[in-house]
Amino acid sequence: MRVVMLPALLLAMASQFFVTPLRAETVGKTVLPEPQPSWFMMNGWEASYIFDAADQQMKGLISHSVFTPAVVTLPSRKEAYFVDSFYARGVRGTRSDVLTVIDMRDLTTKAEIDIPDKAAALPIRQHIALLDDERHVVVFNMTPAQSVSVVDVVERKLTAEISTPGCGIIMPAGPRGFLMLCGDGTLQFITLDKNGKEAGRVRSESFFVMEQDPVFDRVVRSSGGWMLITHDGLVREVGVDGDRIKVGEAWSMLNAEDKEDGGEKEQWRPGGDQPFTMHRNTSLLYSLMHKGKVDTQDAEGTEIWVFDTSRRKRVAREVLPVAAEGILSSQEPSPRLYVLDKDHKLNIYDGLKLALLHTIEKPGVNGALLQTLTPND
Amino acid sequence: MKNSKIVDGTWQWLDRKTREGSRKLARTTSRRSFLARLGTVLTGAAVLPLLPVVRAFAAESVAELGDPQSCDYWRYCALSGTLCSCCGGTHTSCPPGAEPSPITWVGTCRNPVDDRDYLISYNDCCGKAFCNRCHCHNTERARPVYYPSKSSSVIWCFGTESRAYHCTVGIVLGEAGGQG
Repeated sequence: MRVVMLPALLLAMASQFFVTPLRAETVGKTVLPEPQPSWFMMNGWEASYIFDAADQQMKGLISHSVFTPAVVTLPSRKEAYFVDSFYARGVRGTRSDVLTVIDMRDLTTKAEIDIPDKAAALPIRQHIALLDDERHVVVFNMTPAQSVSVVDVVERKLTAEISTPGCGIIMPAGPRGFLMLCGDGTLQFITLDKNGKEAGRVRSESFFVMEQDPVFDRVVRSSGGWMLITHDGLVREVGVDGDRIKVGEAWSMLNAEDKEDGGEKEQWRPGGDQPFTMHRNTSLLYSLMHKGKVDTQDAEGTEIWVFDTSRRKRVAREVLPVAAEGILSSQEPSPRLYVLDKDHKLNIYDGLKLALLHTIEKPGVNGALLQTLTPND
Repeated sequence: MKNSKIVDGTWQWLDRKTREGSRKLARTTSRRSFLARLGTVLTGAAVLPLLPVVRAFAAESVAELGDPQSCDYWRYCALSGTLCSCCGGTHTSCPPGAEPSPITWVGTCRNPVDDRDYLISYNDCCGKAFCNRCHCHNTERARPVYYPSKSSSVIWCFGTESRAYHCTVGIVLGEAGGQG
C-alpha cells in the first residue's frame, strides 16, 4: 500500500511546479442579440428594462429622463426614439427637451434632436408616436397649451410645431397623419406633407360626452385603426379613409348578465394604469376589469376579459390571483400576455389559454408602462 | 349657534359613517377576519380623539373633519400624487422651498360635515425632488388627460421655474354651484 501511495504523492508535489498560473479575467461588453418578437420593455423611473419573455431574462436597459413615459422603436432602422427632458441642475436650472435616438444594436445614444421645451409628462403610451411613413415622430406638448412637435428622424430635425387646442393623444393613421382625441367628444385628424408640415386637418362629429362617459386616454392599435373604450366599457373602432374620419358603431363589453351582476352603484368596469391591449392577428382585445363605482377608471383589475372584436363578443374571462395594474399582448403568432400585478411582479400568460407560464418576481421596475419592441405597442 | 350646528353635524356624520361602516363590514368580511381585525379597530378607536380636526370651528372657513395626512381626507377625493402634508408642508401649503404651481386642475368633492360639494384646486408644489411619501390615487370625477382641466394624471407644474414634481395640496376655492 505504501509503495503505491508514494509515487502518487511525489507526482502531486511535482505538479505544483508545472501548473499554469491563473489568468486574470477582463471585463467584457455583451453584444445585444437581435431583438425578438418575444421581447418587451418595462418603462420605469429613469430607465426602460428590456426582457425576453421566452427565457425571462433581462437583455439590457435604456437610460432616459424621469419625464420619459414611453419609447417608440423602428426595427427597420434599428433605432428607438423617446423624449428626454432635463434640467441643468437636476430639478432646477435651464430646461432642455430633446428627442433621443438610441441604437438598438448596442443600446447606446446615437443622436439628439432639439425639440421645443414643452413636451408633456404624461404616464401614457400615446404621448409619442411614429407615423406610418416610418419617418416622422410626433410628440405631445403641454404648457398647458396643447400642441405637437414633429421630428423627421431620417433628417434628424424638427419639422414643425402644430397647435392642437383641446386635443391630445397621438394615434398614427393614414400614410402620414395622426388622429387625436378632443375634449369636446370628437376626433381630430391631422395630415402632414412630405416635409413634415401640416397639410390639413378635419374634425369628426361629436360621438361621446366627456361628463357622462369619456373615452379612456389609453388607446390600442387595431388592424383597421384604433380601439377606443369608454369608462363604462363601450368599444368603438376608429380610423381614417382618405382624409375622412371613420367612427365605428359602439358595442358594450358588458352583456345583460354582467349588468345584472352589478348593481346601481357598482358595475363591472374596465380600469388600471394600462387596462387594454390587442393582439391584431387574432383581433383579440384584452381588458382588465373590476367591479366598482363610477370614476374608478384607474382601479386595478381583478379579472381579464377577452373579446373577439370581429364578433364583438367576449370569448374568455379569467380571475387573476393578484389584482393587476397593466396588461400587454405580444404580437407573436400565438400571443403571450404580460400582466403587471399590484405587487409589481410581471406575470407571463399564454394569451390564448390564459394559463400562467412564468413570473418575473423582481423585475426591478415599479409601476411600469409595458411595451413591446414593435412600433405601435 | 353656528358652532353647535357644526358639532351636531359632525356627530351625525360620525354616526352615519359608523352605521355604514358596520353594514359594509358585515357584508364584506368573514367572521374570522372580523375578529382578526377587531384589535386594530379598537386601537384605532382609542386614538380617534387624537386625530387632527382641521379648522373645524373657524367661522370664515369650511367646517371639516379628518386627517390631512390620509388619502381619505375629503378634499383629496380626486388627488393623484403625494401629500404635501406628509412632506413638511400642510394640506394648503407647499413644503419649505417648493414653489406652488399657479395653474391647477379643479375637482369637486363632497364635504361630509355639511354634505355640500366644494370646488377643490389641486396645486402641485414644484422645483424639488419627488417627495416619496403618502401616495394617493383618487379619481372622483377626474377625466382623461386630453381634457386637462379635469385630469388628475397631468403634472401641473406649469408656470413654475421647474416642472419637477414635489407634492400636492388641496385648496378650497368655494362651494360648487354656490357663491364660492
